[in-house]
Amino acid sequence: MSELYFNRPMPHGGKLVERVIKDRKVAKKYLKACTKYCKFYDIKPTLHYKRGVPVRNVYREIMSVCYGFFSPVEGSMTSAELESVLSKRRLLSGWVFPYPILFDISKEDFQQLGVSEGDRLILRLKGKPFAMLDIEEIYEIDPEELANRTFGSPETNPEVVREKFDDKHPGWVIYRSYQPIILAGKYTIINEPVFKPPFDRFWIPPRKCREIFEEKGWRTVIAHQTRNVPHVGHEMLMKAAAFTGDVEPCHGILVNAIIGVKRRGDYPDEAILEAHEMVNKAGYIKPTRHLVSFTLWDMRYGNPLESILHGIIRQNMGCTHHMFGRDHAAVGEYYDKFATQILWLKGIPSYGFDKPINEVEGGLQIRPQNMREFWYCPHCKEMAYSESCGHDKEKQKLSGSLIRGLVAEGVQPPAIIMRPEIFKVIVKWWRKFNYPFVNEKYVLYKEEQLEVDLPDLD
Amino acid sequence: MEYILEVFLDENRLNKIKGTSVESQIEAVFGGELKVLRVKIGEELKDQILKAFETARIDSRACITDTPVAFKRALFEEIANQKSLGEEVVKGVLNRIDQIKEAAAKEAEFLPAPDIDISDIE
Repeated sequence: MSELYFNRPMPHGGKLVERVIKDRKVAKKYLKACTKYCKFYDIKPTLHYKRGVPVRNVYREIMSVCYGFFSPVEGSMTSAELESVLSKRRLLSGWVFPYPILFDISKEDFQQLGVSEGDRLILRLKGKPFAMLDIEEIYEIDPEELANRTFGSPETNPEVVREKFDDKHPGWVIYRSYQPIILAGKYTIINEPVFKPPFDRFWIPPRKCREIFEEKGWRTVIAHQTRNVPHVGHEMLMKAAAFTGDVEPCHGILVNAIIGVKRRGDYPDEAILEAHEMVNKAGYIKPTRHLVSFTLWDMRYGNPLESILHGIIRQNMGCTHHMFGRDHAAVGEYYDKFATQILWLKGIPSYGFDKPINEVEGGLQIRPQNMREFWYCPHCKEMAYSESCGHDKEKQKLSGSLIRGLVAEGVQPPAIIMRPEIFKVIVKWWRKFNYPFVNEKYVLYKEEQLEVDLPDLD
Repeated sequence: MEYILEVFLDENRLNKIKGTSVESQIEAVFGGELKVLRVKIGEELKDQILKAFETARIDSRACITDTPVAFKRALFEEIANQKSLGEEVVKGVLNRIDQIKEAAAKEAEFLPAPDIDISDIE
């Protein structure tokens, strides 16, 4: 029987990256030595290259690297590693990785800092020491070229890219807004940030997550990617996708929300996390089978590329399966609606994958569960799966956008498309922020507050 | 391709189109729990709407969503005034785009939360 069981996959790259100094005495010693010999730099948000609003904060990437979510990445990429990622979507070690991970600063800041290769830089967050960056290489990039090469184009990636990326695409804007000087090298967190409520109770780094799976006896776990509050279609996706597994349905469902700067019109991060938690608190999926967590990342909305990152994160967290739906992590019509599923079922040669992503060398072990969609069928009188329900003509599709429209107009969505408890969570945070969705005010508030505070280390 | 603009109807809106030719075109969806009017438009008007409102997007149902509430309100007013679901109602809305954008800018800062009891989840 045991040969039919699926084993928990190894971390991507074979070993979980953990670059956090937890012993405060040791951290203080590092800081004391650094105060004499190192330069200090206050982390700044990346601002939209045209509009000047925050689109990213690199602290989120440092957290995700150092706690192992992005294993085997250990820091800001060197120029050779960047080229390898852009041309082959692989690290120099050969392991698949979709996106550039870079620490960028302006030319003015670089001149003021006066650092060179071999130096150690102390990164401050909210005015307090946060992490060290051991500088291996300093080089310059062209942000527009970086943005274009990161996502590709209809000409270079004809299998899945449908439109040229531009400044309506939030991920392209992030890379386009990078500063031109890259400091490459490994990060080490020396002062562990403390998460604020409600983020604190959903912070489950990969090692902890794997321990929880062991404690719960979850041999198989399916990951659910989210950047949204769940409507009943999402709930059905989770429930149905979890029927996969090995000899029995997946033991656990790990909801992993992406927390960071979002698009205007998305829901606030706080509402997303608590709304997913409400799915289990209200009993729609038992809490013994459902766990809510998050990863810090300013989403790039790169559909198939984003799905690779999601696969890496959730494999590192210990999941055996990952559900993927239509338009995974997508925005607009830049990609084929099923680009992610094409990647995981056939591969996308122009991105460097002539086979499915878990069959290529250096690929992933997590298994995809590719799902089509759910709609309301008035004939079946239930939320039905598109590949099962035969009443195509009668189908009533629901989408997050439809529900956002109802919410904005003050109309409570019918319970058949959004659970009333979930709507109440939206209203709770609506009252706090005077707005149900992300707007410019919320983006600025989040940038000022972030998800964390830093303790004193001096 | 054809794109759709949906206008959801509450009691107040239902009363305003009562007895008109539009009333017969009301559709009930999601088990009859939601009443909606659908305006169908072509590429050109779709492009104008997406250009006018940064948040606007097209969902998996080919519906244009995430337009400002002010836009949806104006669209319903045009439907009620013109008693039509044709493209002319959208053209009527776009004719007063500056006024709608002004209202939309205000609503980007504040939308009143519904007055419902949430004490059981807090």
